[in-house]
This record gives sequence, C-alpha cells and structure tokens, in this order.
Amino acid sequence: MVELRVNGVVQQVDVEEEMPLLWALRDALGITGTKYGCGIAQCGACTVHLDGRAVRACQVAVGDVGHREITTIEGLGTPESPHPVQAAWIELQVAQCGYCQSGQIMSAAALLERTPDPSDDQIDRVLSANLCRCGTYPRIKSAVKLAAQRLQGG
Amino acid sequence: MSIRIMSLSCLLMLGLASQSVSAEVEEGAHDLSVELKPGGSVSNADGLAAWDRIYAVVSHPRCVNCHTDEGGIPMWTDDELGGTRPHGMNISAGESRQGREFLECETCHQTSTRPNTMPHAPPHAGIPWQLAPVEFLWFGQDSKTICEQIRDPRRNGGRGGRGLVEHITHDASLKGFIAWAFDPGGGREPAPGTLQQHLDDTIEWVAAGMPCPQE
Repeated sequence: MVELRVNGVVQQVDVEEEMPLLWALRDALGITGTKYGCGIAQCGACTVHLDGRAVRACQVAVGDVGHREITTIEGLGTPESPHPVQAAWIELQVAQCGYCQSGQIMSAAALLERTPDPSDDQIDRVLSANLCRCGTYPRIKSAVKLAAQRLQGG
Repeated sequence: MSIRIMSLSCLLMLGLASQSVSAEVEEGAHDLSVELKPGGSVSNADGLAAWDRIYAVVSHPRCVNCHTDEGGIPMWTDDELGGTRPHGMNISAGESRQGREFLECETCHQTSTRPNTMPHAPPHAGIPWQLAPVEFLWFGQDSKTICEQIRDPRRNGGRGGRGLVEHITHDASLKGFIAWAFDPGGGREPAPGTLQQHLDDTIEWVAAGMPCPQE
C-alpha cells in the first residue's frame, strides 16, 4: 500500500512501488484527466505537478513520490474557478481534439509559476516537449501570454 | 552492476606525483574496492596507458553527451537512429545546466535509484539530471584536451588527484552519473569496462602524476 497526496487529498493506493504514477492515477484512483500518450516521456500528455514542478507521470515510480504533493489537471482549478491558464485556454479556444491539452496546460502552469513573464523562446522551448498533432501551438502561445498577463494583474 | 547500500570509512593512502599523502576520507555507499597507490609508484608509461583507458570511458557517448558547450544542448546517440544528434524536443539546459530557464531536465529525467529498464525512455540516476559545468567540455574534444582539463583544479571543480578518486567513489555511493554510464539500462551501450576498472585506472593515473598525451 502506497500513500499518495493527490489534489490535496491523501489516498491509500494498493499498487506496486514500481508502477508509474500515471497508471496509479488513472487505473487505481480513476483520475483520468492525465492522459497516456507514449509511456516514454516523448509526448508530455501525462504531465502533472509534483510540489508545483512539471513531471511526466509515466516516468515517476509511485514509490519515488514520497510526501510530494501531486496536482493533476483536475486539481489545478475547478469549472467554477478555473486556473488562469485554464481560463485563457477556454477564452482563446485553444483545443482542437484536446487529447494533449491537459498536459499542455500543466506544463504552461508550471512554467508561469517559475517564470511569470516568459519570452517567446522560453514558451517555445518548454512546450516543444508537449506534442500536439493538431498543431495548436500558435493558440497555445497566445494563451500562455494571456495567462501570464492575467497572473500579473494585467 | 549492483551497488550495495552500506556505509564505510576508509583510510586512503593516496600518492600524488611527487609526494605521498594520507587522508581520512568519508565514503558513502558503494561496493567498490579502493586500493590506492603511493605517488611515483607507477611509471609514466603505465600512467599514460591508464589515461588511454580513462579516455575511452570519458569520450564515450554515455559521458560526452552531457559534457557539452555553453549552448547547453545535450546530445543523443542511437545507432538505430543515425548516430549522434542534438537532444530532441528543442531542449536547452540553459546557463543553469539544469534547464531551469526552460524545461527542467527533471521534468523527464527523474531522480531515482531504481534500475533503468525502459528502452527509449529518459534515463535516471540517483542525483538530479543536469549537464556538466561548461568548463568540463568533453564533447568533440581530443584526448590531450580532456586530460589537461581533468587534471587542472581550476577547471575540474578544484580537485586534486585524491579529489578525482573521491569524485568517483562519492558518485557511486549516490548511484550518480559515473555509475550510470557503466549500467545505463534500456538497451543503451554502456561505457567500456567496469566502474571498478575505471576507478583502478584513475588511481593508477594519479599515482603516475596524471600524465597527459603530448599530442
């Protein structure tokens, strides 16, 4: 039994310590906003936060999480009170098919936490590692800039 | 290769070029055998031969690919995919050498002592993933250049001969990058030889006075 703190709630999970966090979230806890894309950290669809830092959940063994706080797309904001990144995504209608978008949003939110006013180069470099086959990158960049502006009170 | 978790403290008798020194050196957790040699007990020719074996390790892709220049771009080597090329995903480790300015290396490369088993997945080690400091430039460098950098305390993190040996044993105690290079997992080609042989070669080279090739 492994204890995980997910979106502010402590959960006991009966899984092997070697299990990737992605599968503990999706299959054991039923938190399915975090997506499986490749399983080898090549696509970013499974991005979650550990203590506020973006990680690929497919690469984190459950036994290595420890006491770190796990935040998934479900815990970033709520429909009534979305995170500014989520609000910008909705306002600019970023998503096309949507499959990669929870990973994109989690990466963008972590970026803005660390770098409140990112340059175009920083946005490109961070989100290049989150693949979007629909090619929504121009809207992603616009939404990151909008969220940055809002977070800074603009 | 397995590295046991245990604690030990060993009395190191480490010889440098023209003098012998003894020092109490705290070690962490590894199963390496540390048999130091007095300074001057190894000939220049044997020292150069030891350096050639060290160079075969430090010039291997498992090592040089994260010893890149100030551009901060790590390299990938995969013979199935056409040899060596810049890391995918538009990655730059930045001036921090850890990706703090952009995407942190630890986003994908976790800090974990668990075995690396998954082909094509980002490898992990027991210390946070990062590029070596920019003055430790090895990628694309010849034997003489790397040798002179490694023995220069102004460009090697302030290490003398003893410090270079401790660097290997300390890394092994943490399952760090040197240990990883010999056991990279995931179908990757390891650095040549074993970590123990690399440690022995380093001890031999240090005892010979850290000789470097002339050309």
